[in-house]
Amino acid sequence: MTARSPHTGAALVRAGHLVWVTLAYILLLAPIAVLILASFDNGNFFRFPPQQLSFRWYEAAATSREYRSALSISALVAVLSACMAVVAGSLAAYGLVRYRPRGVRIIEAVLLAPLVLPLIVWAVALMQIYAALGLTGTLTGLVLAHTVITLPYVVRIMHATFDRIDPALEAAAISLGARPFDVARRVIVPLALPGLLTSAAFSLLVSFNDVIVSALIAGGRWMTFPVRLYSQLRGQGVDPTTLAIGAGIIAIILFAAVVGELTMKWSRQV
Amino acid sequence: MPLPFLLPAFTLSALVFLAPFVWLAGTSLRVQAEGSLLLSDGVSLSNYRRLFADPFFLEVLLRTLLYSVGTTLISLLIALPVARFLVTRAGRMKGILLALMLVPLVSGALLPSLGMLHLMGPLGVVNGAARLLGLPTVKLLGTPTGILIGLVQSFLPLMVLPLVNTFARLPLDLEQAAASLGAPALAVWRRVILPLAMPGIVAGAVLVFCAAFTSFVTPQILGQGHIATFGTVAYQQAGQVLDWPFASALAVLALVMIGLLQAAVSIGSRLARRREVRP
Repeated sequence: MTARSPHTGAALVRAGHLVWVTLAYILLLAPIAVLILASFDNGNFFRFPPQQLSFRWYEAAATSREYRSALSISALVAVLSACMAVVAGSLAAYGLVRYRPRGVRIIEAVLLAPLVLPLIVWAVALMQIYAALGLTGTLTGLVLAHTVITLPYVVRIMHATFDRIDPALEAAAISLGARPFDVARRVIVPLALPGLLTSAAFSLLVSFNDVIVSALIAGGRWMTFPVRLYSQLRGQGVDPTTLAIGAGIIAIILFAAVVGELTMKWSRQV
Repeated sequence: MPLPFLLPAFTLSALVFLAPFVWLAGTSLRVQAEGSLLLSDGVSLSNYRRLFADPFFLEVLLRTLLYSVGTTLISLLIALPVARFLVTRAGRMKGILLALMLVPLVSGALLPSLGMLHLMGPLGVVNGAARLLGLPTVKLLGTPTGILIGLVQSFLPLMVLPLVNTFARLPLDLEQAAASLGAPALAVWRRVILPLAMPGIVAGAVLVFCAAFTSFVTPQILGQGHIATFGTVAYQQAGQVLDWPFASALAVLALVMIGLLQAAVSIGSRLARRREVRP
């Protein structure tokens, strides 16, 4: 019996470990699961257990003009800022990886600063500067701010991507007479495509869901969906229509995460 | 040669992101005339004096500090076994499980909070289930516990991901090796795994602490407006009261607090490492 006890002990530890991990994932995903469940509740106020399930709030979401305009503003800002961030961030990552310029640590620190420094502190400052420059409540102001907060994700992902691409391939293309533009178009971009798609997806999602910065600079004309939702939650409480929209957004994120993982190994790129 | 590649991103980051922090320090030294948004001439420390004279703001900063430390410790406790599992035992599930970790990071603060409202509310899932089972209900919304649960849920991935990176560099069979030599599992963790994982622990702790300290959506929504934290007060002063110089001073003070704490952590962990190296 004394010989067996360390064995059963180890098995118990392993089982306990598995239970712990399962509970952690339940905590992590519970609010998402509850959001999806609540969106199918037929009532005006969600209560558990749900009385009756329906698509009522999805229909309301599909026909609401107010939310449609907020969602299209969010989408427009996300697409514009993701484009800018992916172009500027990829170029910077390429410059860092291929040329290793002097002061590379300082340049990286500046580029990655939005991941380290608190965004709310920055937003408090930015709204004052925007007010002075007349950028408050403009599309330009929003897109600039979103570009800057998504840029570090692109730089990090593309840095890792270019690290894995053999520079000899570019040298070979050039030695065979390819012009720099052709090297970029026919060699670098195809090889870096998984990284480009991953960083585009990250930028789109981070921008689309941002509320911290947008809440202070968006203004009435360009109010994004998260800002509208936030001010509503502070004021009137929950409109179940937003549950359906929120569940839809979460479903897209989950779908993107699973597809991105299966096709492009996202977890290894970030 | 690298200049054309680096210039656009560097300019954006330096001008749009870093420059406002300098601006902030400047406006925090100005004051607004009563009932106006215009800054008066002259520079003074009166905003900072007001911050330190009013117990409300000090209490807010202290409360935020407490919540952030709590969030960091709870996240660390939850994340250590999770990260170890992902590296040593998850096998083919590792990718998908890691991808799920990324979901809260990109869904922003608002949508998970919206779910949390319906999880913890008086009619929500937790209390509904308790009522079905004949158990007493618990008040979670509008309490520190509710806010802590929300903060841990939002920022747990920031702890797990650096730990996964650190654990990936350690041997996979440390536990079995130690167990075969007769060491209990906890001793392996305390004497071998934790010291080796220190860089990941520090990295994750700094990320979680900063995120929790400066978050404002989670405490606002889950605290139901009853519990003031740095984030909610800064947002209120800047977005609603429109006292920008004062909001700036509050932001600068928070930044200094976070900076000092980070410096202390990095110096502390460097000293600890040096002591380890010595025989």
